[in-house]
Amino acid sequence: MAEDIVISGSGLGKQFNETVIAVEDANFTIPRGSFISLVGPSGCGKSTLLRLISGLIEKSGGDLLVRNAEVEGPRSDIGMMFQKAVLLDWRTSIENVLLPDEIRGTVDQDAKKRAWDHLQLVGLKDFEFSFPRQLSGGMQQRVALARLLQTGADIMLLDEPFGALDEFTRERLNDELLRIVEGPDITTIFVTHNIQEAIYLADQVFVMTPRPGRIAAQIKIDLPTPRHIDMLTTPEFNKYVQEVRDVLAGHLDGQPL
Amino acid sequence: MSNDQEASVSNIELNSQYTGTLGGAVIRHTLIFFVIMFIWEMANRTGFSNPLLLPRPTDIVASIWKIYVTQGNVWYHLWVTFQEAMLGCLVGTVIGIALAVAAVLSDTFRQFLKPYIIIVEATPRIAVGPIFVTWFGFGMSSKVALAALVCFFAPFVNTITGLLGVQEESYELFRSLGANRRQVFWRLMIPTALPTMNAGLKLAVGSAFGGALVAEFISAQAGMGILMARYTMSLNMPSAFAGLLSITLYGFLLFRTMEVIDRRVLYWLDDDLMAKKSAKRAIKFRQELGL
Repeated sequence: MAEDIVISGSGLGKQFNETVIAVEDANFTIPRGSFISLVGPSGCGKSTLLRLISGLIEKSGGDLLVRNAEVEGPRSDIGMMFQKAVLLDWRTSIENVLLPDEIRGTVDQDAKKRAWDHLQLVGLKDFEFSFPRQLSGGMQQRVALARLLQTGADIMLLDEPFGALDEFTRERLNDELLRIVEGPDITTIFVTHNIQEAIYLADQVFVMTPRPGRIAAQIKIDLPTPRHIDMLTTPEFNKYVQEVRDVLAGHLDGQPL
Repeated sequence: MSNDQEASVSNIELNSQYTGTLGGAVIRHTLIFFVIMFIWEMANRTGFSNPLLLPRPTDIVASIWKIYVTQGNVWYHLWVTFQEAMLGCLVGTVIGIALAVAAVLSDTFRQFLKPYIIIVEATPRIAVGPIFVTWFGFGMSSKVALAALVCFFAPFVNTITGLLGVQEESYELFRSLGANRRQVFWRLMIPTALPTMNAGLKLAVGSAFGGALVAEFISAQAGMGILMARYTMSLNMPSAFAGLLSITLYGFLLFRTMEVIDRRVLYWLDDDLMAKKSAKRAIKFRQELGL
């Protein structure tokens, strides 16, 4: 059991000042190779929880272990992707993808070859040398995804990565993301405020509620894999949607949103 | 995305004014120009305006010929002022950018700097001219100093604005990749700030010219400022106007040069240059990888 768990939190908390409790008493375990969705309304602490795991911010209390070691800062086995593509405008796609290697000082033929392959994998053939301003929003996120793959991290933290895109593009990219991270090696945590999206992608959905930010429920999603867009209309799927809604409704009643 | 599209639409509209009737526009402007010149000339010849104060266009043209060709004395003065302005610009810009970087990197320093910056901002910097001439003498150094002081502000403010414009997510990305402070600074902060910094630089070049000229007006042995002061004091107005036109022309040329450099450096903001760069890098990369 223990060797299968890559991330675990117990009593994990993050307080920004005396009044703002962003995350309180989070208890969870995340098995290797799983896909976890963090879903909840704005201000429920899902982004904060993601940044705690990434090592970008420090916890205020409790325990947070990644591979049985306390998180003390950014680690090379954890990669991040954001709602904005955060590409460097003055670099071509492939130069953006090579950024992780550049920062580590590991740019060589092999790294360049891998960057090339990653761009093919995310569907950017013929756009390897385009500049970000020449790409659509969806394509920019594809470059960001290729850059994430280039880090070689097997824990991927995605903060509403396709949240700014139109629905069609988002659905397509979600499917491609699933294809890329499937298998037993890559562990994914995906932040979203879209309940359908959260369920569709995940093996397990953490439902978070605000003030203070808590994980209100951890729902295992027993839908067959690979997922298919037709599942969105099945009764099983809608049962999960209702379950998530009930959890949120139970906590949000009477709360000003 | 939509902003880009709007921008390109307005570009097309702007261009069509020229491209559609380029010949027509040139003819129209030339015509209007000559009509104005003719009225000006006639006003002078008929005694309507005082030729002593407002010289005739034909006299100005003759003076241009004189100071550039027959006497040829203007070249030396232009060169002096150009050197002062450029040197001043260099000094002012370096100090401005250095202070801005320090202010952005250190909150303590920024707090310390703030009141002094407000004082400098509130002082009309030209007013320091006489003091600088007293401090640094009648030679070039007082002009360089005033040019530096005058042009320091734009690079300073723009560098701060540019560096503070780096988005939080960009920092998070770099930190999550394990970047150190130096990498964050050179690979993220500086390139992000570069467009704003360059805009400041363009302003600085222009104002440095003004700063050098004003210092020359106060007291100098050479330069366009003292040349023009001498012409006006001897009521040689045609030559004074010829000098003024020279300054305008060089100011314009300098600004255009800066724009060309600006466009080259900031290739990723220009569609054509970006496409060229993209093709070049593709060839280089494919060769390296043997693709």
